[in-house]
Amino acid sequence: MTAPVVSVHGLKKIYRVHERETGLGATFRSLVKRKYKDVPAVAGIDFGIDAGEVVGFLGPNGAGKTTTLKMLSGLLFPTGGEAQVLGHVPWRRDDRFLRRMTLLMGNRTQLVWDIPAADSFLVLKEIYGIADAGYKETLDELTELLELQPLLHKPVRQLSLGERMKVEFAAGLLHRPEIVFLDEPTLGLDISMQARIRTFIRELNRRSGATILLTSHYMDDIVALCRRVIVIHHGQILYDGGLADLAERMAPYKLVGATLRGAALGQDLSEYGQVVSDENGQVKLRVPRAQAAETTARLVRDLGDSLADLSLEDPPIEEVIDRVFSGEKLADHADPRELAGAAG
Amino acid sequence: MTLLGIYQALLVAGFQQAAQYRVQALLWMLFSIIRPIIFLAAWAAVAATQGGSVGGFTIGDFTTYYVCLTLVAHLTMSWNSHEFEFEVRMGRLSPKLLRPLHPLHYAVVDNLIFKLTTIVPLSLVLLGVVLTFGARFETQPYHLILFVPSVILAAALMFYVNWVIGTLAFWVTRMRTANTLFMRASFVFAGQIAPIALVPGWLQAMSYALPFWYMLGAPTEILRGSTTFEGSLLIIAAQAVWLGLSWVAFKFAWRAGLRQYAAVGA
Repeated sequence: MTAPVVSVHGLKKIYRVHERETGLGATFRSLVKRKYKDVPAVAGIDFGIDAGEVVGFLGPNGAGKTTTLKMLSGLLFPTGGEAQVLGHVPWRRDDRFLRRMTLLMGNRTQLVWDIPAADSFLVLKEIYGIADAGYKETLDELTELLELQPLLHKPVRQLSLGERMKVEFAAGLLHRPEIVFLDEPTLGLDISMQARIRTFIRELNRRSGATILLTSHYMDDIVALCRRVIVIHHGQILYDGGLADLAERMAPYKLVGATLRGAALGQDLSEYGQVVSDENGQVKLRVPRAQAAETTARLVRDLGDSLADLSLEDPPIEEVIDRVFSGEKLADHADPRELAGAAG
Repeated sequence: MTLLGIYQALLVAGFQQAAQYRVQALLWMLFSIIRPIIFLAAWAAVAATQGGSVGGFTIGDFTTYYVCLTLVAHLTMSWNSHEFEFEVRMGRLSPKLLRPLHPLHYAVVDNLIFKLTTIVPLSLVLLGVVLTFGARFETQPYHLILFVPSVILAAALMFYVNWVIGTLAFWVTRMRTANTLFMRASFVFAGQIAPIALVPGWLQAMSYALPFWYMLGAPTEILRGSTTFEGSLLIIAAQAVWLGLSWVAFKFAWRAGLRQYAAVGA
């Protein structure tokens, strides 16, 4: 068995924040004596990622996703715990490590603003020590995948946000990194550009075998790209496992769709479950997961021919995540520590 | 990969960028000329009222001193601390930290580009001053030779001291006050107000003991030919010691600072 590309044990980052109280008196007091508060951004997490995996890192704002990515890419020193990426301790920032990885942050430019991207690429070629032949091959490939040709010779400041993201991607990938950290890669892009970036990431993983860890607020990104997700909230991992199993593990209910006709039109179905919507005979019910099969059987039995169609599905992934993050699920069912322990 | 190749690529990209901001570069250059020219005018006026000289310095001597000082100030100029604060505060340092090249190298190239693009117009302005005020040089060939290592050491010393001040931005978000303090101290001790021979004894002693004069006044004195051969060598040795100390301070501050870096905003 090969060692994981990323292995994280008890990784922790605590920020020390100056607590500012309101009022003039408090302001003067703070000049002499300041109060500090420890804010745990990442509260001791463990996970591993194997070579070639594409893993989605999910969590609301402030959950600790970006802080984790910054630690894994060597930008931040942790407060505690250990991590190895490609066999290196990232925050030692060894050149041999930096040559093998990249961190791309949506909406953040790393290119020189005033000159064409092609010229910035030449600087990166030298910094990463990329041989001429390899450089040409990679640039041609990226140009084809990202449709860069018309963008390469324009000053970066003249590019639109979407165009700039594409050249940023190319800049971050010229050295063919073995691991790619993507922080909100589609942030602020229109739907068509989001789709193109997703296709590109999938193709990148397929062609180069690069391991990818990405955060995104757009569930479409996660659904399209990741078979595995890690859900983080308040700096702790709530779930680590298959995207397909997420709903089953985290959502205590299923959605029953019933299409009514004839005499049943307009009938109140609240005795079967919580009515989520009821429009023109299309009723959607939320029922406890354990009772889903029995409820559907009852609906068939009770409504007979008045039931034109019946479906049973997991709730949309966005809804599952939203419930987890809003604490609804935790209040309803399980302790997050149990969930984290139970999850793969 | 060679550092030479990297510098070549960075210089090409930097010149392309600088070409778009020619006017800004010229204005910065003029800005750096104004202060010494004001001091020259002031000392020339004082000398004129005291029979043509002050403490043995004629108007021609003052002209030589301030022309040399302006040239040295230009060649040793460093503005990293200001830029670095901005980079830390806005998270712009992060992309540089992610690459296998120390962020210091980008600053070296920026520094070189500004100096290379402005040295010709600056020299023309200084030539005009030399001809207008009648400068009097006592420079010997050995002064010119020793000026080269002296000005390089001064520039490197200024550069590293600026980086040390800049790294304060890892701990305090706004470190301009520290930078201002450094500039004020430099103003007093580096020889900007007057040549070191004209300042009171206690100030002279402090100037020799502190690093500021070695960043500016020392190469100026060598260039204008006021030092002996042995004196020049002693100055260069002191500069080398200060450079070594500033390098150690930078290494220490950088390593400690990176542990503090919060990578905000990026």
